[in-house]
Amino acid sequence: MSGRRTRITEDEINELVSKLQSLLPEARRRAAGRASAAKLLKETCNYIKSLNREVDGLSDRLSGLIATMDSNSAEAEILRSFLRS
Amino acid sequence: MIPVDSPALDRSGITYTAIDLKRKRKRGESTAIQHPLSRWRTINQHRIYSSKLLDALRRVGRNDLPARSRGRAIRVAADRALAATARGGTQWSSAILSGRPIRLKNRRIRSAGGGRWKKPSGASKSCSKMPAVERKVKLLSRLVPGCRKLSLPSLLEEASDYISALEMQVRAMTTLAEVLSGAGGAPAPNRPELDSATLSPS
Repeated sequence: MSGRRTRITEDEINELVSKLQSLLPEARRRAAGRASAAKLLKETCNYIKSLNREVDGLSDRLSGLIATMDSNSAEAEILRSFLRS
Repeated sequence: MIPVDSPALDRSGITYTAIDLKRKRKRGESTAIQHPLSRWRTINQHRIYSSKLLDALRRVGRNDLPARSRGRAIRVAADRALAATARGGTQWSSAILSGRPIRLKNRRIRSAGGGRWKKPSGASKSCSKMPAVERKVKLLSRLVPGCRKLSLPSLLEEASDYISALEMQVRAMTTLAEVLSGAGGAPAPNRPELDSATLSPS
């Protein structure tokens, strides 16, 4: 975020950031409550990090599973046909 | 290719033209124009992504990689498939497709501003004079790919879309993992966005 552009007012920041609250899942939203812009931004960052961790975990899980998938490519073909329809 | 002067209709029914996108990009605005909450929750989007993901997985599976780097390779492939499913219009998806360097945790991030930031990105205490909100905005801009130089409104728009996309990625990868591990061959019942037609033979 550059300070060279027109300064956004604090109110505008708060308004924009409050929209982030609707993105957070229910549990995190409750924890944030009537939170400040800083708190909402922090919760948003935490949520993105946790989503990334989840995807990393799923990637590891899938890496184990595709090893077995290769030895049975008929299974993979069935999957493809499900997804194609 | 979208012709320059004719409207393109995407699946959610929103029309936009290539010129609009170009203008927005020139002004440095985010061009994410569909509402992220609905955009990433359609069955169709899930299906498109799952199909790309499966292709990517099979490509990774063909390479002889040690287990540790296979997981990493899948993450990269899954992200690229996600960005491809986004079909343009967002900074984060373009950044991923143009091959952003892999984000590594616990590494010092080099500052673009000539050495002001010497702290690792995970530091929560800071003696910097930057106000808390601005620090958090900076942190957010580093979490969403390709968004370090965006204005605040655009950054938030990108973050919204990115979050919704990540959520779909989690749903799709989870479903795929369950199917591949032979867990009944059907999606879990608490996934309302998938109907049985998605995964049962026609």
